[in-house]
Amino acid sequence: MNAPDTGRYAYDGLDRVIHERARLGVLTSLVGHPQGLAFGDLRRLCELTDGNLNRHIATLQEAGLVEVTKQFERNRPLTVCKITDQGRERFQDYLAVLEQVVRDAAEAAKAGAGPLPGLAPA
Amino acid sequence: MSEFDRALAEITAIRGQMARAVEFRGYGPATFAATGVLAGAAAVAQTMLLPAPAANTTAWLGIWVAVAAASAATIGFEMVGRSKRLHSNLAGPMLRAAVEQFMPSAVAGGAITAVLALAAPQALWMMPGLWQIVFALGVFSSCRFLPKAMALVGFWYLGSGLACLAFAGGAAAFAPWAMGVPFGVGQLLVALVLRFGLEGGDERP
Repeated sequence: MNAPDTGRYAYDGLDRVIHERARLGVLTSLVGHPQGLAFGDLRRLCELTDGNLNRHIATLQEAGLVEVTKQFERNRPLTVCKITDQGRERFQDYLAVLEQVVRDAAEAAKAGAGPLPGLAPA
Repeated sequence: MSEFDRALAEITAIRGQMARAVEFRGYGPATFAATGVLAGAAAVAQTMLLPAPAANTTAWLGIWVAVAAASAATIGFEMVGRSKRLHSNLAGPMLRAAVEQFMPSAVAGGAITAVLALAAPQALWMMPGLWQIVFALGVFSSCRFLPKAMALVGFWYLGSGLACLAFAGGAAAFAPWAMGVPFGVGQLLVALVLRFGLEGGDERP
């Protein structure tokens, strides 16, 4: 028989595609811009190199979380990245799990188990 | 503030950012259409039950405050249900944003009504026009998270409010059409914009 707390801290909902610093930054930037962000703006916001951003965008695109369109602005090509409906939904689910992780950690710290590494109370 | 609290605050901020970027689907077109019909029905009821409203402004006020309260309660009740259903995790921040946008106008409308009724009853005839102008301001502040065409509804209420202030005084004071027509047509316009203006239809999550 399983103990009542089995899987309590499994956090299966922490989507591996999203749970990476750069991709998390990209998605967080995109959720606030429903019309999408130009590749250059995204690179500046997330402080990533062209190559890195390309790689992470490709991963997110492959997972169906973002879409990339090529447009023209003043006769110059412009690459625009936009979060998809599926991406928005999965990002919301991810945030819910992340919130639960922080709440659990706060509770554990309060209960005297001590703060988790890197999350020591100020 | 502990690191945990800061992390939770950041998650809440991201949710708020998401909520501000998403079209609000909590308002249901059928409910708005129903409130428009209610406004029309109240105007008809006023014609039949209160042929001389200027002689009994308390009853006149009672009819329209009741219509406004019933409409607000119905819209509010449906808004909570729809938001939970269509916005899931974002329902809380989106509802908060929607209320924050419209609440100043609603409070101003309520305060104007109270002041006119209690301290300046001779100016009560202006209430239909003022309600419509205040409602227009509420619509304009909510526009950012609603279909773009909603601005037309704001202009409708602003125009009708100004027209009421210009023409619904003197012999026309307290006329049923001053409330019934602007709110009847206006609420039906809201319903149309919601029905056809929301991306992908009004029921799409």
